[in-house]
Amino acid sequence: MSRFLGPLDSEGRIPSHQQTRVAAFLVSAHGALARQYAMALPIRIEAAWQAELNAQFYRESEIVSLLQRATSWVPDIALGYMAATWETAWFPKPFEGVTNQPLALSIELATRAHAIHAGIRPAALLPVDANANDPFVLALRRIEFESGRLLQAQILFLKSESLVPFRDAVSTALERRHAEVRTLWAEALESVGIAIRRGNDRNP
Amino acid sequence: MPFLSHGSYQIRYELDGPADAPAYVLVNGLTQYSELWATYREALLARGFRVATFDLLGQGVSDKPALFISQDDHVAALHLLIGELGGGPIFLSGISFGGLIALRYAIEHGDRLVGLVPMSCFAELSPQLLLLGNALRTGLILGGTSYLQDLLLPMNLSDQWLKPLLDTLDSVKRQGWLVNDLYALQNLMESFLAFQPLTPRLSSIAVPTMILNGEFDFLTPRSLHETLRVEIPDSSLVIIPKAYHAFTLEKSALTADLLARFADDVLAGRWQGNRSVWIAPEEAGGELTPFPPGYDHLRAIPVRAALP
Repeated sequence: MSRFLGPLDSEGRIPSHQQTRVAAFLVSAHGALARQYAMALPIRIEAAWQAELNAQFYRESEIVSLLQRATSWVPDIALGYMAATWETAWFPKPFEGVTNQPLALSIELATRAHAIHAGIRPAALLPVDANANDPFVLALRRIEFESGRLLQAQILFLKSESLVPFRDAVSTALERRHAEVRTLWAEALESVGIAIRRGNDRNP
Repeated sequence: MPFLSHGSYQIRYELDGPADAPAYVLVNGLTQYSELWATYREALLARGFRVATFDLLGQGVSDKPALFISQDDHVAALHLLIGELGGGPIFLSGISFGGLIALRYAIEHGDRLVGLVPMSCFAELSPQLLLLGNALRTGLILGGTSYLQDLLLPMNLSDQWLKPLLDTLDSVKRQGWLVNDLYALQNLMESFLAFQPLTPRLSSIAVPTMILNGEFDFLTPRSLHETLRVEIPDSSLVIIPKAYHAFTLEKSALTADLLARFADDVLAGRWQGNRSVWIAPEEAGGELTPFPPGYDHLRAIPVRAALP
């Protein structure tokens, strides 16, 4: 097990089987967010937060599009089962502690987006000597950078005054989501020989 | 790698040295991690001290709360660590944000300490520091951890330190970038921007206190350290020549020597704070010089001090 992707080929590129597994996970996570934002996006924008929702939808779609085109894909038999596990994990989950269902759904989606944007750092997997001009390397760096910006909408919402009465429930749900997402990410990486710390636990 | 439990969170710490030796506890600045104290660990162990360092919640290998971190959590974590040290004499030092946590600890649990060394520190947010803090937070949000590092490096370190590293700055930044998560740094910065001024409570710090301030500290200038000197009864202000905010990184041998000498003086009963002002030597082992009488230590040019 290594902390970083590789070994690199002679041109500083990530092995294709690692590219495939990492990109598949990221497409699944960001694609799920894009789908759910698309469902929530009204045809006509009438409130400021809907403009942010529009931006989030297009950024998530851009990430998926970038990965589809920048990844050196190879056949991966295990992906079928793994993708099914990931897609199941992105399903909305009941959010306890808030009876207002639209608000509960918004919190649930925001906690998932926060966990994906904050907890997954694909660029941190790149070894120092990865080829900076390789499309996949560039894509991972761009996704991590964009995630940091996209995250701000979730932080603003989850820390907002309107959610102060639900702060404990929100924090609990968010920590749980972080743990879930990091576990999935760590398992995906372990399957291609990469060991990362699984967030707020001690393994590995 | 040992951990302390604070609620559901785990705090990573390192503790070295003989159990019966006087202990130094060192508290990280905002973007730091425990390994950055390695040279202090080595130097202080060699001088007969026990050394404890840790990653604050949100830093390094400690847990990173997803949404909120309060300064109370940092003080509680520090209290847990100090609880591991037994009943021997304990000196507490912290840099910048860590200095603030050390000040709070000394106010709330001063009976557990025999000495305090706030470095590049502040007890309240001046308008400049508030605006700089907000700008750094915006930089983090818009440009990520790497951009925050790009802002902090030239602000807090000297040309002499930076010049030989200009071609390899990415490798200098890499470990800090790897161990710091953007959301956790943002949470830490927001806990700092929301804090209540400590100035009215500083006079309750009864332990000997050596305040260290870099001569050219732009981020937390002399005036912020002056508040500590004036308010903490048994204090001295020591100005580190040609040093910036992050002098603990740049002048580690000198700073570790000053820490050891301060503790030796306190333990030997030689320490006299007297709210005095000193100039540190440029190299470890040199003599401290009293600030020239009659001149204003708050000015950068030699201006006669106002008569009392």
